[in-house]
Amino acid sequence: MEYLSSDKVGIIDLATREIQEEDLDEELVKEKIGGAGITQALYNRFEDEDPVVLGAGLLCGTLVPASALGVMTAKSPVTGKMCHVPLTLDAGVELKYSGFDYIVIKGTASEPIYLWIHDGIADVEDAKDLWGKDVWASTDYVRETMGDDLIQVLAIGEAGESGSEIAQVCINYWASADRMGFGNLLGKKKVKLIALRGMGLLEIAEPEEMIDACQALLTEVKSGAFAGKKGIGELATAIGEEDLGDWIAPLVHRHSACFNTPFASNTFVFLDEDPSKVEESAVPEPGFLLTDIYGLLGLKGLGLSAADACGILKACAKSGVDPAAVAELCEKSQKKDPEEIKGSLLDLKGPVESVGQGPFSPWAPQKPLSKEFGLPEDGSEDSTWWMRRQGVAYIFGIHPIFALMSPALSEEKLIELANIGTDLDFAAETLDQVISEITG
Amino acid sequence: MGIKIDPLKCTACMACELACGYHRDDAFAFLSSCIVPYRAREKKNYFGVILKEEDSLVVARPEGLEINKIGEEQDPEKEADASAKPMLLREACDLCEDMEGGPMCIKFCPVDAISVD
Repeated sequence: MEYLSSDKVGIIDLATREIQEEDLDEELVKEKIGGAGITQALYNRFEDEDPVVLGAGLLCGTLVPASALGVMTAKSPVTGKMCHVPLTLDAGVELKYSGFDYIVIKGTASEPIYLWIHDGIADVEDAKDLWGKDVWASTDYVRETMGDDLIQVLAIGEAGESGSEIAQVCINYWASADRMGFGNLLGKKKVKLIALRGMGLLEIAEPEEMIDACQALLTEVKSGAFAGKKGIGELATAIGEEDLGDWIAPLVHRHSACFNTPFASNTFVFLDEDPSKVEESAVPEPGFLLTDIYGLLGLKGLGLSAADACGILKACAKSGVDPAAVAELCEKSQKKDPEEIKGSLLDLKGPVESVGQGPFSPWAPQKPLSKEFGLPEDGSEDSTWWMRRQGVAYIFGIHPIFALMSPALSEEKLIELANIGTDLDFAAETLDQVISEITG
Repeated sequence: MGIKIDPLKCTACMACELACGYHRDDAFAFLSSCIVPYRAREKKNYFGVILKEEDSLVVARPEGLEINKIGEEQDPEKEADASAKPMLLREACDLCEDMEGGPMCIKFCPVDAISVD
């Protein structure tokens, strides 16, 4: 695969620690496009060895607006079926430039390990010193060991190590979109974390045409309904939770975006520092990055203060548990004391409805976030539309929330950009077929 | 004339860095960019933008602009360069003089945090 690609697939056998490399077959790309289309194909190929497959969308890491998305595909311990978890923040783009297009992690390690994926090299490292550390300490450890603070880390905490049903794979220090129990799965495989870094280069088939098309698309995107808006409060408003913005406002420090995403959906709150402080804080861990709207809403629903809710979210991310599941289980058991909740994170269990049910994570709101999509206001088409829209995002590597905000990122436009970028001749029928396959 | 950055508008999305990388390499890449969001203080949410100019390193911090003359000793406490390829080894900003329509970082910033001064 010549363009928008590192032309490499890594296959890691956890049992033997052997690593194989293959070229990324251009015929596979022509047939499955990318992202979840190819992670699913690789999952099917290695299904007997219970694989976890990482990959970036075809357009991930480019100047296509919102091209942030990587995908983790595996059999969910929650649903018992193969499903896909989106990798946001900078994890998707770091994977894209790591020198690998896709990574297959198969089998189970006999001792705790971590994976160091960088510059076209995949290393299996001993994680005996890491096992037992929380997510934050694990991320610090690998960054300090490698001497690079920009390494992106997919890590489990004590919840994943101990087989918690609500364990989550976190990204660096923060909650992720893993509502499928992949934290539990990595724990069973004795994979403490996956560290990603790369300084790769992606050739473009028609560079000038690609840049012009990306710029024209960005101009269109910037005139959309979310122009000038940012933060988790605005996202809450878009899903009908207007009062969350005011509730959280006294803690808000700044908003930040996932890679090249026009809407900054992540909001940092200061818990142990003045939120208005613009200079670098002297406090080592002054707050928390809110990346999960449903975890926050669930804790708000318990009647907690914003500070207590955010403190619990921070504890969830350190332990590596799904915060939406925590909120739901606490609601069911009428547990509302913040310290009691924090102290019970590793013991919470029971049926959870907020976890994933289908192929895609319910971390992204399950409806359009802009009226510009023109769907019926009674919501009758939302479910079918959402499934297809998420499929498109997971294949091309588009941020799954921004995909719900911007009709400008149409299927036709993404196919056109993929064709300009790769010189392959993707057709709408191919996309239909791949969406059909990944939505089951 | 030079690049002007509003660090409080910046959302650290890295679009400017990739756009600049395209200008340097005619491909999607980050390693040669002369404009880079610094985002190494992740747990503190402290981020801004570094720009390599011909004779200076501009650090657009949230609290204000800092211009360091190249060759002069810097305050080690204020280190902001966590990139894989140190900024001083990179080519200086040329305002994308060979690109139609001006600097790529301005064209691709989704939140209009960059302009020409």
